[in-house]
Amino acid sequence: MEYKVLAVQDLSVGYKDSMVLENICFSAQKGELVGIIGQNGAGKSTLLKALRGLLTPKRGVVYIEGEPISSFTDKQFARKAAYLQQQTAVSFGYRACDIVLAGRYPYLAWWQKEGKADMDIIEACMEYTGVWNLADTPFKLLSGGQQQRVLLAKVLAQQTPLLFLDEPATGLDIFYQEEIFRLCQELCSVGKTIFMVVHELSLAARFCSRLLLVGHKKLLADGAPALVLTEEHLQNAYKTKVKVVENPRTGHLEIFTEDMRVDERHSALQKIAKQMEGKKARGESVENKCMV
Amino acid sequence: MRINAWCEKFTGKMSLWQILLLAICAFLLVGTASLSLGQIEIPVEHVLAFLCQQVNLPFYQDVALTPEQVAVLYYIRLPRTLVGFLVGAGLAASGAVMQAIFSNPLADPGIIGVSSGASFGAVVAIALGLTELSMFYMPFCAFTGALAGVCITVFLAMRQGKVPAMALLLSGVVVGMFLAAMTSGILTMIDNQKLQQYLFWTIGSLDYRRWDHVVLGIGPIAAGLILMFLMARQLNVLVLGDIEAKTVGMPVTAYRLVLLAVASMTTATGVCISGNIGFVGLVVPHMMRFLVGPDHYRLLPVSIVAGGTFLVLCDCLGRVISPPIEIRAGIMTAFLGTPYFLYLLRKNCRLNT
Repeated sequence: MEYKVLAVQDLSVGYKDSMVLENICFSAQKGELVGIIGQNGAGKSTLLKALRGLLTPKRGVVYIEGEPISSFTDKQFARKAAYLQQQTAVSFGYRACDIVLAGRYPYLAWWQKEGKADMDIIEACMEYTGVWNLADTPFKLLSGGQQQRVLLAKVLAQQTPLLFLDEPATGLDIFYQEEIFRLCQELCSVGKTIFMVVHELSLAARFCSRLLLVGHKKLLADGAPALVLTEEHLQNAYKTKVKVVENPRTGHLEIFTEDMRVDERHSALQKIAKQMEGKKARGESVENKCMV
Repeated sequence: MRINAWCEKFTGKMSLWQILLLAICAFLLVGTASLSLGQIEIPVEHVLAFLCQQVNLPFYQDVALTPEQVAVLYYIRLPRTLVGFLVGAGLAASGAVMQAIFSNPLADPGIIGVSSGASFGAVVAIALGLTELSMFYMPFCAFTGALAGVCITVFLAMRQGKVPAMALLLSGVVVGMFLAAMTSGILTMIDNQKLQQYLFWTIGSLDYRRWDHVVLGIGPIAAGLILMFLMARQLNVLVLGDIEAKTVGMPVTAYRLVLLAVASMTTATGVCISGNIGFVGLVVPHMMRFLVGPDHYRLLPVSIVAGGTFLVLCDCLGRVISPPIEIRAGIMTAFLGTPYFLYLLRKNCRLNT
């Protein structure tokens, strides 16, 4: 029997009284790089949190390697799946390697200290993401791209078959963005399964093996990027007119939105311009008074 | 390149031992000074002779000590110095732990209702006249009050089995103010002599500490220090924040409560044998973080030695600055701690801009 790394059955999650996602079903196999896309506030991060067990689902079950996640202890879970959160604030002057070392936590008993084997693992992980030369630099002093790669190394140090990454590439420059995607692609080719929340649709199209489109509290589409990134699907999810064009030279998909509220905005803009003129006139009159 | 990086790490490790050695030397120096200085000056040679003769070391056996010197050293100065070291070590380590639990560099053992609870317990003991019955009532009431203060604080901050750091901090402030108001209320009703007694207790001090105090404090404080050190790696992970700690498999709430309980117990023991002594828990861990970095494996042992040394030093300075008046240790820590803390704040501000 083919075994699924992750399976989601009839999952509903939400906060207090409001539901964010309802009746979600999907499963993933080993080696897939799954991008979760959708509008801001559609529930992408919520879905990821529910998969990682940070949110208790209202209904439904998430299975990892065939076992329901509610049956895991904290440490067992951390050996199955790692999670990279959107923003990490590090107080005090912790060095990059201290952060990565935290990834070894699930493998140590409470009285144990990290040993040589753990050091080797964090060295390999940091070398892979290209931050080993920054190991002794305080985390706070690193640039955004460096911080993100340090955190990725931490997640790798957990040696989990599953990785959940919440916007790992957002806010980075174009080089680091692609670098992160490339790293993920390679990791999947050696057998890891990655779920990541992505905002950059063209990048998602290029690197992910599969996309989940979230919107209207459900999964609107699930499949290969070319099948998910259609004008019809995106218009439904982003509630705006979308154009999907294949760039003939690169063969990559390019996605544009069409302007929906031109008139409304133009009249508002004119108002703003008028107000500024009025202010200028008033200012001049005040200046004149001062001169007198 | 890689060898370089590893070398750097190992020299980093070595400097911990050097710094620890330095701190222990400083403690021995300060400890000797503390035994030798005071109203009755005892030459350093006689102090060393006393120590060697006490533990039967083959040095200084020929130095003759007067019975008076032996009495002063044995009944007054030695317990005083030991209490100072114990309390200072406990406060500094608890401070480091609290700062990690809250991921907040300004957290202090006093901030979660320990000090105010202890003061309230003490004032109740004084108002009821229990202090005249036995010297143990006061520490007992202070200890109970301190733990009650912490429990109320934690209870107020608890939400669905979780204890968010910010809620804990805020409820600590609120409980602190409430208990302070209760304490003031009782103070306005008791007579002058009792008021004096409370005042004496609330400005923490090390004078008139006896072997009873050492015996009272050594168990809980030593146990607390050992437990805190054993959980150093947990502290390192906890500092990274709730989600980060949870996703690497740490039961965050359980560890936070355990560490909080250990740190509170250590602080409460310190407060009940020497009164409220501020700034040690706040300033010493900061100072040490500058020297050895934020890793708790290094930070905790160094803070323990440095905290003890700092408090003994403050007590010692308070004795020699303007004899025959003794300035109480709690006042001296504030005198020395405030400028240093201001310096830290300003330095940090500059770093951030």
